[in-house]
This record gives sequence, C-alpha cells and structure tokens, in this order.
Amino acid sequence: MAKSAALQMGQQVGASFQNGKKQEDLRYRLYSLAIIIVILAVWEIAPRLGLVSPIILPSFTAVVGALISLMQQDFFLRHFSVTLTEIVAGFVLGTSIGLVLGIALAVWPAAKRIAYPFVVGFQAIPKIVFAPLFIAWFGFGMSSKVVMAVVISFFPVLINTMVGLESVPAEARKLMRSIKATPLQTFRKVSLPHALPVIFAGVKAALTFAVIGAIVGEFVGSSEGLGYLVELYKNQLRIDRVFAVIVILAAIGAGGYFLLEWLDRKLIFWRSDVEGK
Amino acid sequence: MMVEPIRGTASPIVAAQDARPPIIEISALGKTFTLDSGPVVALESVDLTIRKGEFISFVGPSGCGKSTLLNMVAGLLSPSQGEATLNGARIDEPSRQVGFMFQTAVLLPWRTVEENVLMPAEIFGTRTQALREKARSVLEAVGLGEFLKAYPQQLSGGMQQRVSLARTLTYEPDVLLMDEPFGALDEFTREAMNLELMRITQAAGITVLFVTHNITEAVFMADRVVVMTSRPGKVSGVVDVDLPRPRDIGQMQEQRFTELMFKVRGILGHG
Repeated sequence: MAKSAALQMGQQVGASFQNGKKQEDLRYRLYSLAIIIVILAVWEIAPRLGLVSPIILPSFTAVVGALISLMQQDFFLRHFSVTLTEIVAGFVLGTSIGLVLGIALAVWPAAKRIAYPFVVGFQAIPKIVFAPLFIAWFGFGMSSKVVMAVVISFFPVLINTMVGLESVPAEARKLMRSIKATPLQTFRKVSLPHALPVIFAGVKAALTFAVIGAIVGEFVGSSEGLGYLVELYKNQLRIDRVFAVIVILAAIGAGGYFLLEWLDRKLIFWRSDVEGK
Repeated sequence: MMVEPIRGTASPIVAAQDARPPIIEISALGKTFTLDSGPVVALESVDLTIRKGEFISFVGPSGCGKSTLLNMVAGLLSPSQGEATLNGARIDEPSRQVGFMFQTAVLLPWRTVEENVLMPAEIFGTRTQALREKARSVLEAVGLGEFLKAYPQQLSGGMQQRVSLARTLTYEPDVLLMDEPFGALDEFTREAMNLELMRITQAAGITVLFVTHNITEAVFMADRVVVMTSRPGKVSGVVDVDLPRPRDIGQMQEQRFTELMFKVRGILGHG
C-alpha cells in the first residue's frame, strides 16, 4: 500500500515499476511453457521408445486421440452432464451452508462456543469414509454424490467466513458504535465487505473439494458420470480413455476456478488495487 | 465553509476567566475494570468542566486512563463511578453531537473518498443532495477536493487522516474526540495536520478533546492541558496555556512555551 507517497507520485513510480514487472512476468511465463513442452515431449517419446508400456502410459497423442473419439460418443454428454450437475449442486449447496453457518458462528458468540468443538471434530474426520454410507442412505443416483460434495466443500467456506468476519479491526467496530450504527448496519457496511476477500478464498477451495466429492462418490458406487467412466475404462484397461476423462475433469475444475477468479477480481476490486502496488 | 469564529483571533487570554458556557461536565468520573486477577483502577475520580469551543489536550504515559476517559465521554464505555454530561444530559450512549477520530483513519477500502465521508450519513439516514454538497465542501476545506473519486489506498497516510477528519466534520459534531489521531504520521505531516485541525475547529467553534503522549503537541494545540499519571490513572494537574491564537510554529521558540512545557513535565514527574 502506497502509504507514504502522494497519488501522482505513486502513479509515476507505479508505471516504471509495472514495466519491469511485465518483463518479469513474461520471462516466468516462458519458463512455465518450457516445462510444459519438456513434460509433453517425455510423455510422447517414453512409450514410443518402449521405456514404459503403452498400456500403462499411452503417449500424449494417443490420449488426444482418445479424448476426441470419447467426446464424439453419444453417451459422453450424459456422463458429462451428470458429473457437472453433481459438482455445481454440491458446490452451490456447500458454499451456501458454509456461508450461513459461518455467519451464524461469527455473529452469535454462544453458538460458536457450543458448536465450534463439533465443527473442529467433524473436520478431523477424513470425510471420504462417508461415501459408502451416503450410497447406502441416498442410493446410486446423483443425490449421494451431491451430499458427498456438500459435506467436504462447506467447511473451508465456514471457516473463512468466520475468520473473515472476526478479523474486522477493533477501531472500525468502534467507529460504527460511535455513530450509533445498528449491528445489522455494521455487518452490511463493514464486516461483510471486509470479510469478502477471505470468504472468496474459501469459496475457491470449496469448488476444488466439490469436484473431489462428486468423483469419489461416483467411484464408490454409481452407474453414470465421469468418475464411473474412469472406473469402467480402468477395468477395461483402456488407459488412454482414463487419461481422456482426467483431462475433461481437469478442464471442469480449471474452468470453474477461472470463473471464480474472474468474479473475485470484479467483486473485490479493492484488493487488486492493493496488490498492484 | 464554517465561518463564525468563536472569539477574537488575537485574544491572549484563554481558559482561566473564560465566559463561554460549559458543554461537557465531568464529575467524580472513574472506571474500574474487573480482570481475572482482580479489579484494576483504570481511572480515578476525575472532575473537569470543558467549555464550548475549548481545545483540551490530555497528556500522560500509557496506562494513565486518557483513552478510558475519552471512551466514557464518547458513550462507548460506561463509568464505574460518577458521570459525564453533554449539554447537561448524562452521557450513557454514543451521540451524533460527538465525533470520534482514531489513530488510524479507519476508511473502507471499497468506497471512494466521497463515499467514505458519506457513510455516517447513511447510518443516520440523512444522506441527501445537500449533504453530498456539504461533504464536498468539507473535503475541499481539508485539501482533498480533487480526490473525491479516489480510493483510500491510493492516498498517503496524512491524506487518509484528512478523509477521516472530513468524515467526522461532515455531520457537524459539537465535540470532537481524538485519540492520538496523527500518532501514526511522520513529524512533518503531523505538524501540518495539527495546524489545519486547529484552524478548522476554531473556525467552526468545535470543542476538541485531544489525547496525545507528546508534550510539545499537547501544549501547542490546547487552551488547557490536562496532565494525567498512571497507576492508578488520574488527573494530576491542569495547565492553562495562555499563548495567543491563532497559533503558529514560531511560538514554540518563545520562552512562555518552554515554561508551559516544563510545567507539564513537572506535573508528570511528580505523578
């Protein structure tokens, strides 16, 4: 934060600083690109030279071929949309539950004292062990996967909401009290916007967890979905297609992440302002 | 903006035989905090009458109860003994007539300078076009007329405190409580801010209670310096500052200024 510099000076310094930063960014991007090229080259050459069996590691081009052929299958869209629905439903529900619980625990000290030990205890459980249970309770359909996604994705949102709301500076609370703001006004105008950057970090983590929840649920028991396809192709030893599904799942995860990242920048514009300096 | 000076600007006589009506009356005011280790007396029986338009500095080491006193006058903390009144009414909750300024500017980074200044008006439900114009003229007066649409993090620390001052002045409080408001700023900025604060509050006839641990600043700003000592926190003496107004930095060279500073030092030493 440019605490000591006046605005104009800050802009000038910022401009020359930004130029140097751009060049540095470009250099690091080139490094990343070089690493990717090396990995893809090794991936392509190793199976072709017989260093690994193509059954275990199909070459990069074979995976690309499998990906294209898979996406042309009639059944593909159905499996794709099933998993995407599970992820989106689990993410939206998990995030909402985390947000509501986080707010409740932050604004209501009694609730926090009563519920917090349970929350921590619950977090200590590796929640994947619930997957078979949820299949037994909610069946082989989508609902058991949605529940799984909810159960593992709500937690980071809950914790970050709570921490964000509790990190409002004491002087800001005091200022609001000195102008006789109601608790609701303080919450809306100060606490919630203040907590938003931290909450959003939790929401991003929740998306990753929702993807894991849906896939694990499908592994444990399902008759459709991308996780089911991974299991199916593994059993058929069609590893090229296993890789193809993995690529699609990675694309779903990355797509969602970038969408949230974009929303983050739009919504929390003042954070990028600070980081830019 | 804010004309109507309260007194003749060159009057050398201050405080002692002041005819201005009292605005804040503090009587036998005390605060005891109950900790696990037992009760701790933060402030012991303070009596003080503050007149309308007076500038009072509170100076003392940490733990002398100056912030506690300020918080009770603000209605943010309830007294254990005695009471404080504002215009004759007992203070038991915060009031719109009283503005509070902190060591940090406490600005909301997602609001522009102008929106920050208008925030209290949203709480009071008085956000109108007239108030918007008022906010602009106050920002103009503190030298931020060109920065209405800037965000706080684009401003220097001194400018951020100016926004904070403008936010308070916009709702026209009678009393301004300041808890080391410029303590986080560098020496030069602080001096400029102090002069500006004096100019604005004198012109508007605002009563100021100014907490600091800087003796020079305390004497330079005030009509009266309330000297406080710790363990237990109490008022050990009040020094009348009979330096003419408007004040300027040159007065710090005068012998009278040095005498007053040593008078304050003397009281602090005996505490």
